[in-house]
Amino acid sequence: MEIFLQQIVNGLAIGSIYALVAIGYTMVYGVMKLINFAHGDLVALAAYIGLTVLMQAFGMHITNLWAIILMFVVSALFISLFGVLLERLAYRPLRRAPRLSAVVSALGASLAIENGIMLIWGPNIKVFPSNVFPSASWHISGVVINSTQIAILLLSVILMLALYIFINKTKIGAAIRASAIDQDAAKLMGINVNGIIIAIFALGSFLGSIGGLFIGIYYRELYFQMGWIYGLNAFIAAIIGGIGNIPGAMLGGMLLGIFNVLIAGYVSNGWSEALTFVLLIIILIIKPTGILGERVAEKV
Amino acid sequence: MKKSFVWYGIFFVIAIIYPHFVDPSWVDIGTTFALYSVVALSQDIVLGKAGMFDMGHATFFGIGAYTAAILNTTYNIPIMYTIPIAIALSALFGIIISWPIIHLRGDYLLVATIGFNIIFYQALQNNVFGLTGGPNGIFGIGTPMIFGINIASQKAIYYFAWLILLVTMLIIYNIDKSKLGRAFHYLRESEIAAESFGVNKRFYKVLAFALGAGLASLAGVIFAVQYAAVSPETFNFTQSVLFFTIVIVGGPSSIPGILLGTFVMFVVPQFFREFATARYFVFGIAMILTMILRPQGIWPVKFGKLPKYIFRKS
Repeated sequence: MEIFLQQIVNGLAIGSIYALVAIGYTMVYGVMKLINFAHGDLVALAAYIGLTVLMQAFGMHITNLWAIILMFVVSALFISLFGVLLERLAYRPLRRAPRLSAVVSALGASLAIENGIMLIWGPNIKVFPSNVFPSASWHISGVVINSTQIAILLLSVILMLALYIFINKTKIGAAIRASAIDQDAAKLMGINVNGIIIAIFALGSFLGSIGGLFIGIYYRELYFQMGWIYGLNAFIAAIIGGIGNIPGAMLGGMLLGIFNVLIAGYVSNGWSEALTFVLLIIILIIKPTGILGERVAEKV
Repeated sequence: MKKSFVWYGIFFVIAIIYPHFVDPSWVDIGTTFALYSVVALSQDIVLGKAGMFDMGHATFFGIGAYTAAILNTTYNIPIMYTIPIAIALSALFGIIISWPIIHLRGDYLLVATIGFNIIFYQALQNNVFGLTGGPNGIFGIGTPMIFGINIASQKAIYYFAWLILLVTMLIIYNIDKSKLGRAFHYLRESEIAAESFGVNKRFYKVLAFALGAGLASLAGVIFAVQYAAVSPETFNFTQSVLFFTIVIVGGPSSIPGILLGTFVMFVVPQFFREFATARYFVFGIAMILTMILRPQGIWPVKFGKLPKYIFRKS
């Protein structure tokens, strides 16, 4: 039982990372009906940039707290900009093209970013320092929670709550929801859909970059193809929750995180990806729209 | 159509004399080009003609290669006899895989097919049923015998692969001209209209998968013969992404487009072997540019010209 609870705690930490990344997929899909295959690689890029900033900051003898803050700010800013740039260069020219052409463009962007990382940081594994967060841990009736997990959970929950409020309570949020339901109608209502799409890419990339930094801090090993694996898992999380549905992405991420940890703990690592997909295919057969359902039209 | 036959004739004449002018490594590339073209054409039945998003086609390619390898090395069945078994098995898999997910919306189908590919890959890696040899794969695959001729030399395998490509092109050409091809085309253009004309949606979609799977499997058998070995990496889903990209970059449901796509996506990178590190970075950017400049593919298909009187002002 204690082992099981421990797995759940680990699963929630990983799940909140998936959730952060999944939101980027789900928002872009909701408005543009496009699987942004390059999103996972942006997440990987965020981790690499974060590592570089952190090492520079440590080199300049800045206190730990400021180094961490600097890492988050620089990486998030850069990746948000990069996400907007990606949309401008690779997706906007193809908005009226066949949908599969945009998918190939996304695959091309993914390939370019992945190999760009390899050219800049080299093909070998990079390792995050182990002392990013203080190495404290708490024992609660046999279950161990360390400070990294607490930080990940807290920050993710705060970010997701902020996003939820932003989407549901602000004018821009209403415009985003309107664009997701019907782009043409949104245009007729005077919504600047181009601006909305830029906002979505900036937001999604921002949350993804935080997820990427957490991957670096939590797993500590970075390799240039990692964007694919984490990206694919996060995308599956988005589908499980119901694509285009932001609370769904959060729920799907948590569920998939717990599922992955249980598989690794009780079955074997060699089958983990295959079993994740088995779960996805079963869910798709039973309920094709995901657990919480896709976005449907609503009164704003 | 007459004009295009002349061009295809020239294309195959070049293919026939090609191996006598290049060194052996390029003969191998020519062989693989033919086989990849067959896989891309088979993927196009599903992706281009029937319009279903399939990004797991390397699965069927792999089923063919592994079926031939297992039957030939473990049970000593001659390669020629493994071909029909491989095709049938792969087509059956295509039916079983596509049956429950065929009604899903495009993008879900895409992710589900990626999923089947990854399940297949991990099954190979984990040496499922003790048959697949795990991460190392299977070695020592024999050569086919046709009418007493042993196809063992590099050039013989090259010509055999091109023969398979010719047969595939004829099959595709005939599908296009037949009731089947029209059914696929109408399904892609408008499912509702096709159904109201009595096209059985589910039957034709699953049939497209079965056909595509069978053809890809045929290429897989020859691929196993060419390298005399199979290993899981060759059938990972990154390979599926390559086949998917070949079809879209070349031009969906266009035979010359797909041949060109295979050339651009597989042969061209071979020229830049020495720039191994930067090559894929440039390649990714080239993919984006190609799609922006030619969103319908490099060599788009011309289908169903409307008669002139429709546009004539009355």
